[in-house]
Amino acid sequence: MRGTLITAILLFIFAVVFWFAADAIPKSQLGGTVGADGLPKLLAIALGVLSAGLIVQSLLAMKAAGPAVPAEPKRRSGNIARHLWAAGMIAIGAVYLIVVPYLGYMLSVGLLLLTVALYNGKRPSFGLLLFAALGAGFFYLMFVRLLDVPLPAGFWPALVG
Amino acid sequence: MEGLSYAWHAVSSMPVLAAACGGVLWGILGGALPGVSPSIAMALLLPFTYSLPPLVAVVLLASVYVGAEYGGSIPAILIRTPGTNSAAATTIDGYAMHLQGRGGEALGLSLVGGTIGGLFGLILLTTLTESLANLALLFTPPAYFAMGILGISVIASLSEGALLKGLIAGVLGMMIATVGTDPISGVSRFTFGDPNLLEGIHFILIMLGIFALSELMVQAGESRWREGAVSEAGKATLKLPSLKTLWRLRRAQGIGCALGAVEGAIPGAGGSVAAFLSYNEARRWSKEPEKFGHGSEEGVIAPETANNVVSATALVPTLSFGIPGSNSTAILLGGFLIHGLQPGPLLFTSNPEIVYGLFGGLFTANLLMFLLGMVILGPCIWLVKRPKPYLMAAIFGLVVSGVYSIDHSLFDLWIVLAAGIVGYVMRVLGFPHLPLILGLVLGYMIESNYRRALLMTNGDHIVFLQDNVSLGLLTCAALVIGVSAVREIRRWRKPLVIALPQAQ
Repeated sequence: MRGTLITAILLFIFAVVFWFAADAIPKSQLGGTVGADGLPKLLAIALGVLSAGLIVQSLLAMKAAGPAVPAEPKRRSGNIARHLWAAGMIAIGAVYLIVVPYLGYMLSVGLLLLTVALYNGKRPSFGLLLFAALGAGFFYLMFVRLLDVPLPAGFWPALVG
Repeated sequence: MEGLSYAWHAVSSMPVLAAACGGVLWGILGGALPGVSPSIAMALLLPFTYSLPPLVAVVLLASVYVGAEYGGSIPAILIRTPGTNSAAATTIDGYAMHLQGRGGEALGLSLVGGTIGGLFGLILLTTLTESLANLALLFTPPAYFAMGILGISVIASLSEGALLKGLIAGVLGMMIATVGTDPISGVSRFTFGDPNLLEGIHFILIMLGIFALSELMVQAGESRWREGAVSEAGKATLKLPSLKTLWRLRRAQGIGCALGAVEGAIPGAGGSVAAFLSYNEARRWSKEPEKFGHGSEEGVIAPETANNVVSATALVPTLSFGIPGSNSTAILLGGFLIHGLQPGPLLFTSNPEIVYGLFGGLFTANLLMFLLGMVILGPCIWLVKRPKPYLMAAIFGLVVSGVYSIDHSLFDLWIVLAAGIVGYVMRVLGFPHLPLILGLVLGYMIESNYRRALLMTNGDHIVFLQDNVSLGLLTCAALVIGVSAVREIRRWRKPLVIALPQAQ
């Protein structure tokens, strides 16, 4: 309930910011009677009203539930660990995006396969390496060769000359 | 007759046949993998449809949906883990049959029931869609705007106990749709000077982030996969039911067909509701209700027939009004929009070859599901037994490669990561995904009709109340929200009434 309340407050703030951002959209004579800012402003108002409703709903729910009983520390730390573990997948994706222009697609995607599998509980083994190598080869053949997608080549062309 | 000619032309065209075959194959494999829902299987293919001809692209996506409904029953029967939500009802008697050494029989019932259901749903789709679409020809811009609002309201109101969250998700989806260059005035909105945002945020990126990436995050956060954990899929050889058996099970199939037809056409109801309702009704009307839960054949064929009927009838509101009622049909709508096609009444006159070609493609897909279903069981069992980390890594690899292939932009991948975070946070906080996706795909339609409507009255919003259809639809939207709000308030009060005596 507290999480919902905090989210609702953040959404309300976002609605206000969105309204001002919509108000700052340049006016154009081609925009018609409503203009490019018409619907965004309407949406900002709708979000403001709905998030205010959610704030009220959360407060009422908290009141009805009585004094807040803090969750068991073990369960709470378990939840945090779960979310952090989930966020780790995004971190892996972000690292992939940072390295792919330098290392090139084939190596990066191979490393991505290896890391994601390791991260999710697979022990390092020859089978895992084979999976990453074959997987990278498969993706390379499918996207670069078959579908002709110009995926980043990295430093390899410069190395080969 | 013209429609039949288009359908025949599609069915006899090699690319469409290949798309139906590939889609069904991908759908069965995707559906068989627990954690890969039909919508995720479809979303993963979406980037590949860019370079395909429109008809091939939509047939491919629709065939995935058809295949996934059968695929979901394979792990439901063999390992008691439904591959898709709609296969959950099949788990009860399918797994019981497997334990009795009749797993192959259960798979056969699922396959035949699914094929019958799919073909029955297709008949309804072809007969209902055009007449409903003709009704939609009466729609004016205010009515279209109201239709979009009604669509989002209905979906948001179905968010069990979270009406406000559903509506907020819908508004957020529409907000994302406003990013980019305004199509009417050419003014850029919310781009912060970044040229990557000038064309807006493509809904594919949000769909992949919300569905595929957030699912990977959830699975990563769940209990750890242990080395050596082997899936107990066992062995099973598909055994098709005889005609005599099918005749004996006709009542259960009829129930599946009827409930699947009704539930499919109702936005938000979907295959899982249809499957569970059919299971219950099949038990109620069965001559051997005591067998349910202990390996009843009727308990397998009724839900499997129902969820395959839904895979066809769920397309009725999408094709008639351009309003999708489920995650999968929202992605299919995305497949149409990518190729500049707007599902709705005009599609029947402007692109009849697409609509009737899709019907032909779906017919082929259902037949192919039957044929491929007989031979693909072995690979499916092999796939289900693969370690989960390999599967997750392969999906991640497919997402990053597929997204890059759309616009050759790494910026798009950052958006997918951001959408993944949003999707995960929404799941944790109980915000439903579908209203956001619906707001996103309908955003342009809603805004363009909103502005067109206001041009008629020089900016006066009374136009939405002057148009009878618009007034009717907006009243329906208000009623849907009002009824859900009342129901939610009642649900809130209930625990308090129970709690008071306990407190005393």
